[in-house]
Amino acid sequence: MPTDLDNSSTASGEASVSSSGNQPPPQPPPPPSTTKKKRNLPGMPDPDAEVIALSPKTLLATNRFVCEICNKGFQRDQNLQLHRRGHNLPWKLRQRSGKEVKKRVYVCPEPTCVHHDPSRALGDLTGIKKHFCRKHGEKKWKCDKCSKKYAVQSDWKAHSKICGTREYKCDCGTPFSRRDSFITHRAFCDALGDALAEESAKAQTQGQGSAPVKPNLEADPKVQKPPSPPPPAPPQTSAPLAVQSSAAVLSTVLADQAVGMKENASQILEEPPVTSSLIGSSSSSTSSSSNGKTSTSVIAGLFASSAPSSTLQPPQQSTPYTDLIRAVAPTDRSVDLGPASSVEPISLCLSTNHGSSLFGSAGQERRQYAPAPQPALSATALLQKAAQMGATATNASLLRGLGIVSSSTSSGQQENLQWNTNNVEHENASVAAGLGLGLPCDGSSGLKELMMGTPTMFGPKHPTLDFLGLGMAAGGNPSGGFSGLMTSIGGGLDIAAAAASFGSGDFVGKDIGQSS
Amino acid sequence: MNKNQVHRTRPWPGFQMPKSLGSFGDANCMEQLLVHCANAIETNDATLAQQILWVLNNIAPADGDSNQRLTCGFLRALIARAAKSGTCKMLAAMANAQNYDNLCNETHKFSIIELANFVDLTPWHRFGFTAANATIIEAVEGYSVVHIVDLSTTHCMQIPTLLDAIASRLEGPPLVKLTVAGAVEDAPPMLDLSYEELGSKLVNFARSRNIHMEFQVISSSYADGFSSLIEQLRMQKLMYSGGIGEPEALVINCHMMLHFVPDETVPLMSDSEANPNYPFESSSVYSPRSTLLKALRCLAPNVVILVDEDADFTSNNVASRLRSAFNYLWIPYDTVDTFLPRGSKQRQWYESYIYWKIQNIIAQEGLQRIERLEPKSRWVQRMRNADFQAVPFGEDAVSEVKAMLDEHAAGWGLKKEEDDLVLTWKGHNVAFATAWLPA
Repeated sequence: MPTDLDNSSTASGEASVSSSGNQPPPQPPPPPSTTKKKRNLPGMPDPDAEVIALSPKTLLATNRFVCEICNKGFQRDQNLQLHRRGHNLPWKLRQRSGKEVKKRVYVCPEPTCVHHDPSRALGDLTGIKKHFCRKHGEKKWKCDKCSKKYAVQSDWKAHSKICGTREYKCDCGTPFSRRDSFITHRAFCDALGDALAEESAKAQTQGQGSAPVKPNLEADPKVQKPPSPPPPAPPQTSAPLAVQSSAAVLSTVLADQAVGMKENASQILEEPPVTSSLIGSSSSSTSSSSNGKTSTSVIAGLFASSAPSSTLQPPQQSTPYTDLIRAVAPTDRSVDLGPASSVEPISLCLSTNHGSSLFGSAGQERRQYAPAPQPALSATALLQKAAQMGATATNASLLRGLGIVSSSTSSGQQENLQWNTNNVEHENASVAAGLGLGLPCDGSSGLKELMMGTPTMFGPKHPTLDFLGLGMAAGGNPSGGFSGLMTSIGGGLDIAAAAASFGSGDFVGKDIGQSS
Repeated sequence: MNKNQVHRTRPWPGFQMPKSLGSFGDANCMEQLLVHCANAIETNDATLAQQILWVLNNIAPADGDSNQRLTCGFLRALIARAAKSGTCKMLAAMANAQNYDNLCNETHKFSIIELANFVDLTPWHRFGFTAANATIIEAVEGYSVVHIVDLSTTHCMQIPTLLDAIASRLEGPPLVKLTVAGAVEDAPPMLDLSYEELGSKLVNFARSRNIHMEFQVISSSYADGFSSLIEQLRMQKLMYSGGIGEPEALVINCHMMLHFVPDETVPLMSDSEANPNYPFESSSVYSPRSTLLKALRCLAPNVVILVDEDADFTSNNVASRLRSAFNYLWIPYDTVDTFLPRGSKQRQWYESYIYWKIQNIIAQEGLQRIERLEPKSRWVQRMRNADFQAVPFGEDAVSEVKAMLDEHAAGWGLKKEEDDLVLTWKGHNVAFATAWLPA
């Protein structure tokens, strides 16, 4: 009963009539001589009763009745009288006969309340007090377990005792105070599955038997996945999400690239057997190596996504490229690059490099993408190292720095480093632009220009946005890759100046400290 | 009441003048600072941006009160934006530093049980669930086959209570078909469970309630207005209408998902971004959002429930988006402040979820910016344009929502606006629920 938040009051008031609720009663109140527990119907006091209107202050004042000896306060005169007896003071308890003492009823001080009207007065002081608190007062008592709030302390106490015990309890032991929470939990909790485990076999067969056969859906009541619409699902659905998204981005890049490229270049890039072998090795490396997973998975995505579109490639085109691969593969092994994870990036670099060296202008276009598949995080590390090497470093040396750090992400990739460096030297300018984004830039306007990528650097269709997209997908964080690039540059070039301009190093120091 | 609102009309005092930082503490000043900062970033005024950020960083610690946390969220989002647009390298450095500590938060994947708890923290979602369920039950009365298409960000969290309610209807439970869109893109809250596993749990639960249920996932993307989902539904409908099956009630339940669908303000997609499956002509006034509603109308559903957050984040001007987001997203910070202890895991998840929204609204553009909330009035207009008519929520729905709100903190309230229900927090609109029939 104490948890009842409605107007109902406890029946322990000083008057024998306690009333509650909102509905006008159909019958007159029972005689006051009935037992104390008997309730009147809500808000319909004895018409003869004395109506008492207390101000909110008086109403909420605790301990209005104070003992003149010890200053102890009481909420009710009756209790004070009993207390006075202990001091041997004269005391007087009210007569219980009800005939001499005129019954009192109390109205709510809130003018807008229905119980403000004397005809709807409540029959006991405690009742009106609780009513006033509950309906017009602040709920300042909060249950720690379920966050329910109460205006009346006794409500809160009563609730606290039963909170989480009374209401709903899942077989897993978790209690719930609300039915909707319980139902939702129950549906997904393993406890339900366990309970149903035995039944399920039976129910399933029954369900299959009784299920109406629909023309387009199987009648199987179990989860069914209808054939998804052909295009959107990429073949490598088992790959991690990051890979998928990066693959999506990359595949568009590749597609456009392929269009723009000379025929032979695209054929070679997308030559089926090589591609598939790359997929194979990269996926195995994803599972086997932990540190190199970002890079390999991205690369896997890159090649995997290009694979489906390459099925129509003439087979004979494969020869030169696979030869190249074969030619390199032994080299890899001789440098002791056993694990697949290390082979992977090399293959990638290879393709890029050969693309550029063999197919002139076509390769040129591809080059700008070559750095992109590098994992965003390692790129951060790269550029941080690069920044440490000195802000005044030339493009070439900076990029060599990149190569070094990149290879250090997975052990034993000397070969890879060489390829990277080759690559860099081969196409110094464009790669620097692609990777180093804003390197030489001091003013913000100049920076902006660089950031946005000029058409000559990136080609009209793939401005920085795409490039960023790659970094994003690889890093699994929307801004991680790019800001990573920016950071280290900023860290090397600009931070000191920025800090100086602030004068105080508080703000700058804190964040920069973390980044470098 | 809330500080945000109390000081809303105070003029901007000029940030370089006051000597004590104490006067910056109120939400209005913070908002003004953020707006100025956003403008500075947009105009490439790196010096000004840095100065404001310095101030903001000092008055809005990430572990401060709810207004400070809110401001801190915007601050970080602005930094991320600056880093993207390259206005200021210093900012980029900060963005990077902060990304490291965000990483763990942002990628949190809920277990299904965690998500159930998460959704139940406040009536934010439960409001829509409750209003929708009562209306759905009413709309499918008498049908022995009920097909529910659930377009929801909360991974079917609404379904158990719906199944529970529909199980006890007088004429006995119907055959329930549940179709969800397996989104290609992922937006928080993220779940560590596949839809197939989720579906089998729901099928199990339905069985425990003596409901025969079928579950299907149609992989589909909000980016193109769920075109493949619509296509599939259309096919199914065609096959049914020619078949001998029992009449099927179709329910489209849209819970805080449709605002992901691009509206007219999304610029044309560049070729490199274009989805090869994109089925529509690109044109400057083309709106996948309106197209989706019209496509839904063509499915002749028995009822469409549209529940969404009531705010406007569609402006292409970042400063005005910032304003409306600041004046809306204080609510989630405020609501959990009363009962989730600071530093608790649940609170971290909750706040990183809000932060994801802020970040999306402020730092992203184009198709990446998917938090494109529209106010109720505009959705109502879209629905009418798509030839839907509003239906009022019944007494059952209203009283169930009220009862549910009574079990939450005192600040939550319910407003009836014409035919619709609006959830409020301390008098401010939070979310709306609308129900629609084909006109």
